[in-house]
Parts: sequence; C-alpha cells; structure tokens
Amino acid sequence: MNTTEILFFFLSALALFSAIMVLISKNPIHSVLWLVAVFFAISGHYILLNAQFLAIVNMIVYAGAIMVLFLFVVMLMNLNSETEPQKNLWMKLAGVISGGCFLMVFVSLVRQATDLHAKKAMTSTGDIGLIKNLGKLLFSDYVVPFEITSVLFLSAMIGAIVIGKKE
Amino acid sequence: MNAIIVSALMGVVMMLSGIIFQNKSLMKHLAAAGLIVLLVANLLQSYGKYVIQVDTHNLLHFEQFGIFFNTIAIVATLIYVLLSGKDIENTGVHPAEYFALVFFVLCGVTILTSFNGLLMLFLGVEIMSIPLYILTGADKKNLKSNEASLKYLLMGSFSTGIMLMGIALIYGGSGSFGINPGTPEMTVGGIPKVSFLTVAGLILLFVSMCFKVSAAPFHFWTPDVYDGAPSVFTSFMATVVKAAGFFAFMRLFESQSDLMGATWKILLSFVIIATLLVGNITAVFQQSVKRMLAYSSIAQAGFMLFALYAGNDLAKEGILLYAAAYSLATIGVFAVLIKMKDYTLDGFNGLAKTQPVLALATTICLLSLSGIPLTAGFFAKYYMLAAVVKAGGALWIVIVAVLFAAVSVYYYFRVIQAMYFKDGAAETSEITGGFKIGLLLVAGLIVLIGLLPSVLLNYFYF
Repeated sequence: MNTTEILFFFLSALALFSAIMVLISKNPIHSVLWLVAVFFAISGHYILLNAQFLAIVNMIVYAGAIMVLFLFVVMLMNLNSETEPQKNLWMKLAGVISGGCFLMVFVSLVRQATDLHAKKAMTSTGDIGLIKNLGKLLFSDYVVPFEITSVLFLSAMIGAIVIGKKE
Repeated sequence: MNAIIVSALMGVVMMLSGIIFQNKSLMKHLAAAGLIVLLVANLLQSYGKYVIQVDTHNLLHFEQFGIFFNTIAIVATLIYVLLSGKDIENTGVHPAEYFALVFFVLCGVTILTSFNGLLMLFLGVEIMSIPLYILTGADKKNLKSNEASLKYLLMGSFSTGIMLMGIALIYGGSGSFGINPGTPEMTVGGIPKVSFLTVAGLILLFVSMCFKVSAAPFHFWTPDVYDGAPSVFTSFMATVVKAAGFFAFMRLFESQSDLMGATWKILLSFVIIATLLVGNITAVFQQSVKRMLAYSSIAQAGFMLFALYAGNDLAKEGILLYAAAYSLATIGVFAVLIKMKDYTLDGFNGLAKTQPVLALATTICLLSLSGIPLTAGFFAKYYMLAAVVKAGGALWIVIVAVLFAAVSVYYYFRVIQAMYFKDGAAETSEITGGFKIGLLLVAGLIVLIGLLPSVLLNYFYF
C-alpha cells in the first residue's frame, strides 16, 4: 500500500463519516460544519486525481461561500429541538423503506458492475483537471453550454431582484 | 440555434425596456412583437437560414421535429400574451421582468427541443425551471403564492439533485454525456449488456423527468403550486412548459429505453396508470375550478406519457398534436378563469347568461380537454392511443386510458353544467371586445384542428 492509497482510504473514510454525521447531528450548526468537512475530504480526492484547480474551486466556492451562506441562514432561522416539526411514525417508516430500497439498489449496483472492477482512477497522472486544459476545453468543445449558462444566471439574477425588491 | 439566441436576446430587451419605458401597458405589445420576431427567426431556421452560424460541437442537434415544436410553443405563448397580457401587468409591479422571464423560459424550451447530450438537457431544464420559481411567487402580497413558490423551489431543486446524480452515474457507466448510445449487445437471456451504472442513472433521470412533467407518484407539488401561483402564470406553466417537459422526456428516452430492456415498459406502465388514476379521480372531488384544472393537467400528463410508451413515428405526430391541442384549450380556459371573481364551481353558475361568448369559448376548450370529437383534443388522444396500438402488445393499457377519459368527461362537464344549467350571476371583471374576439379565435382554432388535424401535421413534413 503506497502513500496515495493510504491517503485515498483515509479521505474516503473521512468523507463518509462526515456525511453520516451531517445526517445524524441534532444541532443544525453541527450539520453544516460536518458538511464543510465533507467538502474538504472531496477536495482532497480532487488533488489525488491531479485536478488542483477543481480542488481549490471546490474549497473556495463550496466550503467557503456556500457554507457560510448556509450557516447564516441556519442561525437566522433559529432552529432548535422545540421548533422541529414532529413527523409521524408512518412517515418515518415509509422513509426508511424507500431509502433502504435505494441503498439496496446501489449496493447491488456496485457489486454487479463487473466492468468497473478492473478500472482504476488516474491518480497523479491525468492532467485534464489542470486549469490550462480545463480552460481550453471550456472554450472549444464546451463553449456553447458555457455561453448558455449566462442565460441561466441572468434569469436567476432578475428573479432575485424581482423577489427581493421593496415595493 | 436561431430560436435560442433570439429568445435570450428578447429576454434582455424586455428586461432593459423596463428601465427605458415608464409606460407599463407598453410591455404587453413589446412582448408580442418580440414573440413574432422569435417566431420568424424559428421559421427561418426550418428553411435552413441562420442568424449566426454556430458550431455546437454536436451538443445541440436541430431537426424539423424539434423546430416545429418550437413553433407550437412560440405560437401558444403569443396567444397567451395576447389574451392574458393585461393580467400579467396587473399581477405585480414588475411587468417588464415577468415578460423577460417568460422569454427565458422559452429559451429553455428551445434548448430542450434540440439537446443532444445530458449536459444540455440539464441546462435546458434549469433555464426553464428557475424563472418559473419566481413567476410562481410573483404575487408577493399573497401568502399562498409565497408558499407555492418556496415549495416549488425546494421540490424542484431536490429533483434537480436527483437528475444530476443520474447524469453522474450515466457518465460513470458510459463515459460520455451523449444520448444516442446505439443498440446494445444482447446477452443470451435477452438482457441488454450495459453497465449497471447506466441503468441506475437512467432510472434516476426517469424519476426527475417524471417530477418535471408531474407524473404520479411524483406529482405532489402540482396541485399546491398550480393553485397558489397567480392564475396567469399557472396558465403558462401548465401548457408550454409542461409540453416542453414531455418533448425533452421523449427525446431523452427515445434511444435509451432499449438499454433498460423489459423493465422500461413495466416501469412506464405503472407510472401511466398511477398518473391517470390520481389525476382523474382526485379532480372529480375538487370544488375549485383552478384546483380541478391542476389535477386535470396531471391526468393529461398520463395521456402524454403514452407517446413515450409507444415511441414510434405516430407517437411523435401525436405529441405535437397533443401539445398544440392541450396548450390551446388550457390557455383558453385559464384566460376565462382569470377574469372570474370566484374560482369555485359555484362562481361559474349562470355565466352563459351574463357572458355568452365566454361561456361558449370555455365550453369548446373543455370539450377539447375531455377529448370529444370535432375538437382538437379528440385527435390528440386518438393519435396517442393509436400509436400504442400500432406499437403492439399492450391493449389493456389503452382500454384503461379510454375508461379514465370517460371519467374526465364528468368533471369537465360539471363546469359546463354550472355555466349553462344553473341559476346564478357569475361575476367577472371587465371584459373587452378584443378579449372576446381572441377567445373565439382560440375556440375556432381548436375546432379547425379538430376537423382537419392534417393542417397541423402536414406542415411537419415540409
């Protein structure tokens, strides 16, 4: 087992553990903080795949900006155990059954996807995630979706103003 | 490409015109003019003339089928703006922005009719949905509108998450965003030889698309959102946007359904039956006409799913006809509904006496929705069912559909009954002569397509 593999397993375990903690934490602030840990672990994976740019962007945008926003919203909403709505038992049961079915599908998927067993991730060799290649790809093959995204952002901005403007 | 570029530009024009022109009533005319420009640009494309030549790197693929659907969507929007433009202006204080958002929705629609990869599908669906979340909440003083908007946003983002998960799995399985995987190799047992990741991803995509077109059991948001949103925007949501969702659904699974083997038909027939059942049976019990129309739109979604089930050329013609018939009729009914003071069934009592023209047009629209012969709705339903019969192997599902169509007649006719055979004084807001003429034209168009569906479909082959 070389260093990369050790790092990979460590980061995966960290990501999974943090993700479970997001779900089972009673305090919403703790959930958000565990989510930050998930994002850092995933950024670590990106670095292992030699995609430094993605790793940094993931950290700045997700762990930084979006999580700060989440934290503010959670704090402003003043959630605590008293205001939490009581879900009835059947609802919980239905959730467990459907979630369990979904988990089963995914477990059997990973076990039966034999075509994936031989494939290995390109750790520290691939260079597609470097900013130079990413930029080239974005402005050649994927220039149309890149430009069309601007329509999406524009409509979201107009929407934010329409909703938020004082009347 | 023309329609995508022009609709995005028109959205920007509308947005800026809100600053330049202070006159609010001008916006409606500006939007109508913009839609005509968009229509011309789209028609030019069907004759091979481009505004700008763009190399899309095979991410978008334009064909007559999609361009013709664009035409239907743009014409439906034009009729919608002409009939209900005044009510859009009265909804809130930002009419220019609302029209801009309508144009952005159209931009999303035109992407969805030409996408050639999952990446563009995702962008199209989002460009179509995000403006709708805002239009749903346009009536800011109304608590129900706020609730509907938030509900739609939360549920919509959740379904987007499912869609992204599906796309990620498909990418993991096949290594590309393409939607034309080709015919898969078959194993001995007749099971297609594809990665399990692809199949799981397709199922997730199926779920999220079902959500977008409000097929049961993913329909729970529909009644609340359609009911809470300002009626003018419900009209738009239930027609153009929904039809575009179906078009994308069909385009996506046209070539991919083979990958899922026999599972596909079982899954789809379950969804179709559930949708027809939930939509029709729940609509029967509604007292509010607006809520009844929300459930009826779920029921109509069940019929449109037949196009997916059949997946042949007849189904393609059928979905075009259905989109046109359903959009026209629903826009007509909603245009009248907006003018009503009281949205309950009792509010329609005696409309035939106070406003005979409105009652007549509404009747024709409702007849079309229930699929009575001589209206467009009849041929729309006929093509759908004929496509399934032609595809073969599932006569029982056609019989079930016909039974549910009969159920739908009951709740549509209750409105007609209220208008013609019940005493009362239905109150409406001020009706202009132009509105009546427009409504009669819509009704006339429905009857014309009902008499000669080839008027619409022949055009498709030019």
